[in-house]
Amino acid sequence: MVQVINLNFTYKKTRKKAIHEMDFNIHEGEVFGFLGPNGAGKTTTQRLIIGLLRNYTGQIEVMGKERKKWGKEFYEQIGVAFDFPNLYLKLTAKENLQLISAYYKDRIENPDKLLDRVGLLPDKDVRAESFSKGMKMRLNFIRSIMHQPRLMFFDEPTAGLDPVNAHIIKDIILEQKSAGKTVFLTTHNMTVAEQLCDRVAFIVDGQIVVTGSPKDLMIEHGKRRIKVEYKQNGNLFEKEFEMDHLAENKQFTDILKNTDIRTIHSCEATLEDIFIKLTGRNLL
Amino acid sequence: MRFLHAIWADIRFQMKQGFYLVYVLITIMYLIILSFLPEDVLSVALPLVVFSDPSVLGLFFIGGIIMLEKVQGVLSVLVVSPLRTIEYLLSKVVSLALVSVLAAFAITGFSQYESVNWLILFLSTVLTSGIFTLCGIMINAGCQTVNQYMIKTIPYMLLFVLPCVTLIGFPYSWVFTIVPSVAALRLMLGAYTGINFYEAIALIVYLTGVNYLFLRWTIRVFENEIIYQE
Repeated sequence: MVQVINLNFTYKKTRKKAIHEMDFNIHEGEVFGFLGPNGAGKTTTQRLIIGLLRNYTGQIEVMGKERKKWGKEFYEQIGVAFDFPNLYLKLTAKENLQLISAYYKDRIENPDKLLDRVGLLPDKDVRAESFSKGMKMRLNFIRSIMHQPRLMFFDEPTAGLDPVNAHIIKDIILEQKSAGKTVFLTTHNMTVAEQLCDRVAFIVDGQIVVTGSPKDLMIEHGKRRIKVEYKQNGNLFEKEFEMDHLAENKQFTDILKNTDIRTIHSCEATLEDIFIKLTGRNLL
Repeated sequence: MRFLHAIWADIRFQMKQGFYLVYVLITIMYLIILSFLPEDVLSVALPLVVFSDPSVLGLFFIGGIIMLEKVQGVLSVLVVSPLRTIEYLLSKVVSLALVSVLAAFAITGFSQYESVNWLILFLSTVLTSGIFTLCGIMINAGCQTVNQYMIKTIPYMLLFVLPCVTLIGFPYSWVFTIVPSVAALRLMLGAYTGINFYEAIALIVYLTGVNYLFLRWTIRVFENEIIYQE
């Protein structure tokens, strides 16, 4: 769906080299996460693929065609939700959808259905100026998918949302994936990335440090151990065991048999741990 | 179809933001002032008032419109939609020209000025509006705040408005017709005081050409400054 080969980009005005020899690809039907701290080059890469930055060197092939060769028809097939609300504030929620929808060939059939999906149906006739940030972000989000795009770009899609609404947005992203759509997600929220992404790429200073599935990375960089928390004689204890030959570990089996187990966890690394380990940086 | 939707979207945006209300109030204010003027003064004042509407007012209105779109972030949505730059720009030109024509016709109609060439009035208003709207978009492209826009507008305004003074009894005023605003005002004056057919055609062709050149130029500036922020 997207293939990036040896991509380099320098901002003309600041002469800042923002992207260095970047290579990655995004398969059709996957959710690909681009993770990195602020200023790492996530948004620049996204803008290059979307076509809002030119004069790059290397290759960006999107939907079978070099990005430079696409015209405005490209935007019929992609959806973009930025990380800040951008709405006609004096128009209602429904009017905002209808107005932008009119520019697409695949017009929105039923805006009420989409508004209902993100809990905005009761406010469909309310002007966007009186919405909270969370409501604006939800409206922003559904506007980016209303024309049934094949490829979607979401920048921090759950930023500013409460857990219930963040859950709804994540569900919609997974629904889009099930429908065969491709999603390019930029975030510095590792939990969102773990929950949604088939593969992630860590980016620092305009370069990709590592690419892989969150699960594989977590196992590869984690410890092959488990941690058991148990209660014995009214006291709480914690102990770690090697995963290998666990069933033959007498101390472990004794704890299982004779104590009150509180929790058992495998000690794989979190994405955040891996990021810090590989880049020496924090995500925020 | 997309272009028509863009025009309709602009009309709705301008209406909801209160621009039309401002236009109505200004038109009423003009009518009240003009009603106090004697007939001989009216023949000069009326074209000047009507001309100021698509030019000076138009320049400020387009500045306000684009700034509001920037502040609300909708420009960033439009650039990732299938709407073409030329459609976006022309919808601004058409929607503002429409309001200018309505205001020009209302002011002229209610002033009960005799012998108006309505076709020339229509064309001169549309062509003036186009030039100033496109000019406003170009000035606005590099601005982040309303204050910046206001300050940047002043030299352009002087460049366009000052040469218009030459139309009042200046011996070589025809030389200044090369300035688009002077050509536009000359055509608009012709709508009220009469104009030679060939002169009118020449002015219309010239102003249409200027509009076309400004459009091409605005597309470049808009794409470089607003779409591709490199």
